[in-house]
Amino acid sequence: MTPFKLQIITPEKTVFDGETEQIIVRTTVGDVGILNGHEPYCAAIAIGQMRIMMNGEFRRAATSGGIIKVSKDKTVILVQTCEWADEIDVARAEAAKAAAEDRVKAAKDDKELLLAEAKLKRALNRIDTSQFN
Amino acid sequence: MQLVASSKLRKAKARAEQTRPYFNELYKTMCEIASANDDFSTVYTVKREVKSKLFIVIAGDRGLAGGYNSNVLKMAASAHENDAEKPKIIAIGRKAAEYFQKRGYDIVASFANIAEDIKPGTAQDITDLALKMFADGSVDEVHVFYTMFVSSMSQQPETMQLLPLNTQEMEVEGSMTYDPSPEAVFNRIVPRFTASLLMCAIVESYASEQGARRTAMEAATDNADAMTEHLSLLYNRARQSSITTEIIDIVSGASAQSN
Repeated sequence: MTPFKLQIITPEKTVFDGETEQIIVRTTVGDVGILNGHEPYCAAIAIGQMRIMMNGEFRRAATSGGIIKVSKDKTVILVQTCEWADEIDVARAEAAKAAAEDRVKAAKDDKELLLAEAKLKRALNRIDTSQFN
Repeated sequence: MQLVASSKLRKAKARAEQTRPYFNELYKTMCEIASANDDFSTVYTVKREVKSKLFIVIAGDRGLAGGYNSNVLKMAASAHENDAEKPKIIAIGRKAAEYFQKRGYDIVASFANIAEDIKPGTAQDITDLALKMFADGSVDEVHVFYTMFVSSMSQQPETMQLLPLNTQEMEVEGSMTYDPSPEAVFNRIVPRFTASLLMCAIVESYASEQGARRTAMEAATDNADAMTEHLSLLYNRARQSSITTEIIDIVSGASAQSN
């Protein structure tokens, strides 16, 4: 497969800047696959897993919300966080999960519940992703 | 303190540079969507009659930073001079909270000790608060007051309008497919975009604070050095004169005896 340019940028740093052969990313409407020569495309990214193919092998990462923008010359993925499966600190994710579960139980109103559930979802996603390592 | 501020300044500058690419890309995408699709309206871009404003003011947690805190706080205070109503305040940094509390402002929320190690999540929480107030109509405009880092020697207090959004017209390449729709993508981006805008402002301000503190502490060190020099001169003179007096006493006593 022909490689194409990809940049993954988070508010803290540029996570990836290089070439990839295929991207599979979880958008708000479902998993979307991107190959070289894809039409200009833009979608919102949900909490989930992202796979990037390099030299015929997929590398997996946990993402939280953001957007993907495919243009003619390159693809840009802007996400709040992006952690490669092999870099996830499982102990920390487990701790975050436990803390989030407590917060879900203690939530007093809808907004708190929503925030706590989102936290829990992110923690679970990180744990799930790390298991593919 | 000068040395501490120098090393913190270096870190803060590097951080400010790392935040920029994300922000720039996000801003570009948002402008593209807004200028390619002017047929949709979102709550975030609509200008309303301004009855009440929300100010997000970013200052330091500590003093001893020259004019850093007072410059940005004064700017925020003078920005609403012509308004009938005092703005609501979100204070970032202890100095900002103290300042507005003393003057009887309506403080919606205040955050202390977050600037040094600001996380995207924290910036998101703060902006969610502002977005919610804007969406439910309790404020009609949101402004951010921060300090721009021009160079280590110069920092400029600045203000920008966070909401309603000002999107620039841009040239757009071809036709972009938005999944599921431009509105949906746009509404997803807005909270991220405003959060990253705020994050940039906080990171800039923090770098400015360290720059201002470094300059202030450098001046303090220089002053203290000059003072030490002057005082040791005085001390040496006093010591010298007391020695001279003693010698004169001894010599005159000895010469009196020998006579």
